[in-house]
Amino acid sequence: MSLRLVRIDDRLIHGQVVAGWLRALGAQRIVIVDDATARDEFLREVLTLAAPQGVPVEVHGVADGAARLITLAGTPEPIIVLARMPRTLLALRHAGVPIEVVDLGGMGAGPGRRRLHKTISASPDELRELRELEQMGTRVEIQIVADDRPIPFRSLDQSN
Amino acid sequence: MYRKLAAVSAGLMLVALLAGAMPGAVLGASAPAGASTDTSRITVAAWQAALIAIGYYLANSPWLFGVAYFTLYRPLVAGFFVGLILGDPAQGTLIGAAINVPYLGFISAGGNLPVDPALPGWAGTTIALASGLGPSSIISIAVLLGLLGTLLFYGRMAIDSVFAHWADARAEKADISGVALMNLVPSQILLFVISWVPVYLLALNGPAYVNDALNNLPGWVTNGLVIAGGILPAIGIALTMRFIFRGSVVPYFFVGFILFTFTHGSMSLVVVAAIGLALAYLHLSFTGANAPKAAAAPGPSSEAVPAAASPSSTAEPAVRLTRGDLLRSWALWTFFSQANYNYERLQGTGFAHAMTPIIRRLYHTEDEIRAALKRHLVFFNTEPNFGNIIHGTVIAMEEQRANGAAIDDDAINSVKSGLMGPLAGIGDTLSQSTITPILLALGIGIAGGTASGGTIPTIGAGATGNPLGPIVYAVLVSIVIVGIGYTAWMQGYSRGRAFVTDLLRSGTIDRVLVGAGVLGNLVLGALAAKYITVYLAPTITIAGAQLNIQASVIDPIFPGALPLGLVLLTWWLLRRRVNPLALLAVYLLFAIVAAYPFFGPDHTSSTDPAAQYQVCTSSLLHPYYPCGAPPAPTVAPTAAPSAAATPQP
Repeated sequence: MSLRLVRIDDRLIHGQVVAGWLRALGAQRIVIVDDATARDEFLREVLTLAAPQGVPVEVHGVADGAARLITLAGTPEPIIVLARMPRTLLALRHAGVPIEVVDLGGMGAGPGRRRLHKTISASPDELRELRELEQMGTRVEIQIVADDRPIPFRSLDQSN
Repeated sequence: MYRKLAAVSAGLMLVALLAGAMPGAVLGASAPAGASTDTSRITVAAWQAALIAIGYYLANSPWLFGVAYFTLYRPLVAGFFVGLILGDPAQGTLIGAAINVPYLGFISAGGNLPVDPALPGWAGTTIALASGLGPSSIISIAVLLGLLGTLLFYGRMAIDSVFAHWADARAEKADISGVALMNLVPSQILLFVISWVPVYLLALNGPAYVNDALNNLPGWVTNGLVIAGGILPAIGIALTMRFIFRGSVVPYFFVGFILFTFTHGSMSLVVVAAIGLALAYLHLSFTGANAPKAAAAPGPSSEAVPAAASPSSTAEPAVRLTRGDLLRSWALWTFFSQANYNYERLQGTGFAHAMTPIIRRLYHTEDEIRAALKRHLVFFNTEPNFGNIIHGTVIAMEEQRANGAAIDDDAINSVKSGLMGPLAGIGDTLSQSTITPILLALGIGIAGGTASGGTIPTIGAGATGNPLGPIVYAVLVSIVIVGIGYTAWMQGYSRGRAFVTDLLRSGTIDRVLVGAGVLGNLVLGALAAKYITVYLAPTITIAGAQLNIQASVIDPIFPGALPLGLVLLTWWLLRRRVNPLALLAVYLLFAIVAAYPFFGPDHTSSTDPAAQYQVCTSSLLHPYYPCGAPPAPTVAPTAAPSAAATPQP
């Protein structure tokens, strides 16, 4: 299982990911799956260049991303997968990508979203998608940085 | 959720109040003299406690041109100012530096604060100075204060979210000044109350309380706290190693360690840094790290992308921003970006506050102003210096939009939300996990003074602090951080997105990181040798002579083998994802247990030298080296300079 971290984070690559997770996991590749980002030439290049030297970054749309991740999951190379929203990961899961755990790492507050925990907020639709992921056998956990203890999504979903 | 956190913070204040009000006599009345030091006690007057508490508030506040987080927030600088307030800046510096070492690898990103270094810096130094504790014994107490500080931070993050909604209400009324005020005023009143009160009480009552508590502890526990003071720095250094101890620059850490150890600590950290700069130049020249990163980016050049941000491309603009508008906006951001830092929007209200001069100049109808304010009040978070490229770019886009260019909300939002992450990644790597710890390591090294005797200095052993350490650090880090912020802002405005891609492609940042890695590892290695101390107590008997294992066996082969081993072990454990806070607790417990006289009677309270020597042989670790003069003078003089004994627990 080489998908070391499958993370939902609307800022994709940033300090917590680069200075925290990447080092902590010793990951050697970052795969970003997001349709809007994949279409944006400029953002694609910035994300590619923003990762530390020696860590290749791939940006895919959902369709290409699923195929690519299924291939990568079979290799021993440790990788980090980043997506902006639950919907993307649900689509990947439906397409057959083997995701054991989803890390809910960053979803900023916005219209329609309610706060779940610290910097994590979610809309009713997003909550539904996360529940569906859990029903499909994927554990959803909140763990903002690598040094935090993971909190099961289920425990927060009920209390709010 | 808000209520829960608010309740936690309120409960905490109550605990602080109780702890402050509790008379020291509760524990201290029947205490024997014990092993605690009583030599240089300073009484903290109410006005001094008030000033120290203001210092802690300022460390968390936005008032110091945005550099408080890099200066007053760090125990090294805090210690100097506490010393200044209490009349002994040199000793304050020494203590602040020692407290800072476990926090060397401290980093806060995305509204996450693992520990609070500022409370240990301000309150910890006060307690140490006022109770006459040595720098080594205060470290353990300071670490506990750091956890309390974290709770204050989280309480504030939760409550500040409310003020973001107040700002929303002002925006709805197109009230530009109202939005600015809501970013600044309520958050600062709250911050002042929750930071000033606990620190005032701690500064006033903490020293007597801690002193009485320590007087009641058995001598071996007090010894254990000193031992912990030598072990806990390994965590701070190992956390920093996680950032820079990687790739081709790893050997420089060992070079730094060995340089310092084999000159018996007499080499100044400034000299180490000078050697580091020379080596960094050589390393970059000879490893080909100068190659631009272009190969990594096969995509089409960004020039092909419609240049959203080049104000000169618009012919005859109707409204133009002045240089004053740009500077005012930059200054507002530099000061107040995190004034109202909160869980819901993070720097959202700070962004809107910074945009107020721009909005004032560009937009004049109520609808335009309202839309612009609301546009910039949304969730935003980036590294607030390097990330300023975003602000520059966005300001240029707003200017074009005001002049009729077809730039919609989506275009502006996608620049903000698309760039805030990647630029925070690079910015945090630069400012928080490279520049700050390296300059801090240098400052701490200078602050800790150099050894006068022939041995590696223990931090508690009669050393005096050098206030130049915190001053040099604070000046250097402020210049570098503000310089990065200003350049990013202005380049972002004039060159926009092309500046991002050009800068990243050129490989400049990677070169800076590699060069800093060389310098940083060298200084960090020296600092590890200076601050990590592990003294084995047990002895072996060879040919009838009782020999200390460390002084007679380990040190003649490789002095410093134990501290080096400890820091590498800590680094390895952290890489294995052991939680640093758990590690802190384990090391603290281990140090105290290791001080217990397992192998003989407890002589820690005795003043008889022969009995004190027995202390060494009866526990696993000992705070002093070579742990009291042995009764039989059979130790080889080269192996263990007996003059270095400082048996004063």
